[in-house]
Amino acid sequence: MLIQFRKSLLVFLSVALLLLTSCASAPPSRYQAVQKESTQKGASAVVRESQSGGSFNRFFPPEQDGYKRIYTQEKKGFAEAKLSKEGKELAVMSISDTLNLPTAKAKFANSAQKIAGYPAVEQGSTATALLVGDRYQVKVLSRNPSFTAADRASWLERFKLSELAKLVKS
Amino acid sequence: MNKPIFQLVDELPTNNLTTKVLGMLDFVVPGEWNNLVGFDNTIRAVTGETDESLIQQIGERAVQLYNDSSQGYQRALWLYQTVDVSDKVLASGILANKVGETIPLLGFLGHITPQAQKAQTIDFATKLVVEVVAFCQINGIPGDSIGDFVASLADYSGESLMRIVALISLDGLIPLGPRFLDQALSTISALNPHELESNQTFKSVSSLIPGGNSAGQLNFIGTSIDSVKGWMSGFVSERGLTPQSVLAPLKGIVDFSEDKLDYLAAFLDISTNYYEHTGTQTLARRLIERAVAEI
Repeated sequence: MLIQFRKSLLVFLSVALLLLTSCASAPPSRYQAVQKESTQKGASAVVRESQSGGSFNRFFPPEQDGYKRIYTQEKKGFAEAKLSKEGKELAVMSISDTLNLPTAKAKFANSAQKIAGYPAVEQGSTATALLVGDRYQVKVLSRNPSFTAADRASWLERFKLSELAKLVKS
Repeated sequence: MNKPIFQLVDELPTNNLTTKVLGMLDFVVPGEWNNLVGFDNTIRAVTGETDESLIQQIGERAVQLYNDSSQGYQRALWLYQTVDVSDKVLASGILANKVGETIPLLGFLGHITPQAQKAQTIDFATKLVVEVVAFCQINGIPGDSIGDFVASLADYSGESLMRIVALISLDGLIPLGPRFLDQALSTISALNPHELESNQTFKSVSSLIPGGNSAGQLNFIGTSIDSVKGWMSGFVSERGLTPQSVLAPLKGIVDFSEDKLDYLAAFLDISTNYYEHTGTQTLARRLIERAVAEI
């Protein structure tokens, strides 16, 4: 009887130990693979040939009808501005060079949608993007529920897209 | 190896002395800071997206961007971490106090050496300059004109604004008094490069402060303070901030007497890391904003 009890106690303890140790170590992160890959020697997030961020600023829509545009980021291959009205943030507008992220460009391949004549996609529930000159991604992201997909499309059209297209050739 | 960015954001504390002190300063900028922690949480909060595969894509791009050392994000985080001189031993002593009790400053007097006013002023100036440099490392210099850049700086909100409120309160008003900005300017203009070099806080981050040599860096610090002075003094008077107004809520956390403000300032300096804490949050937010726009 005692031996039986000891046996079951042992089983119980080993199961408990197993549970405890498996809980103690955190599960591997969903970003472990990209972490490993992007810390390898020679890995980079931005390629040398990328356009400078500063060269994108002039293609953003001008301030109009009480809308305020505040530039927020300017990094190699990327520029971003915030769109607000009456102190309320409505959207974020950006231009990026897809040379740095080929998958960003790939998503336009099967797109039937067009905005201002350029291939366009809806992404998630807050973003609309178009591709200029097979290289530059122009994106508008809603930051307020009042700013709809139609608003995003309308603001995408206000970028100086045909001038941005010339940047590809220059 | 340095910790991955997702781990740093996941490990941000939800309840320690730093978060408590920042929480007490909420009255200055109500609702601006809500201690957003966790990498995926931050992605959801910043982008408003809930689709898991999209979150994965955004997170992966943010990780790539952070790990590319040429992009400046690692330098910015290093600045935020390094300028916060914390004392681990003291911090663990504080933790030994029961949760919910106010911490008796008296019990720590023997462990704290208050800084001389001059050193305290250089600390304030250095933290302010670190903010400017880290801003540029993270965001570049947005826009095509000085006006664009200033507009971008003046657009501080959320955890970035809370960091400035804490800087004004904990490193300005409490140790230096209501005229802390004037004092910082006059101290810096009368300082010689050698005195700057010998300040611990400055020394720890000097390798990333522009200016070439310490004389040039001193000049850069003076110019930086001068350029934010207008905005900052406007902010202080607009919100009616005084040493008394920021001290009152702190009484709920630390038990101190008002003739020991230099000790209180030194205590908060070594027992909190609000620059690192909110700096990590700012960095995560900006990385995610860029990542969601680039994918």
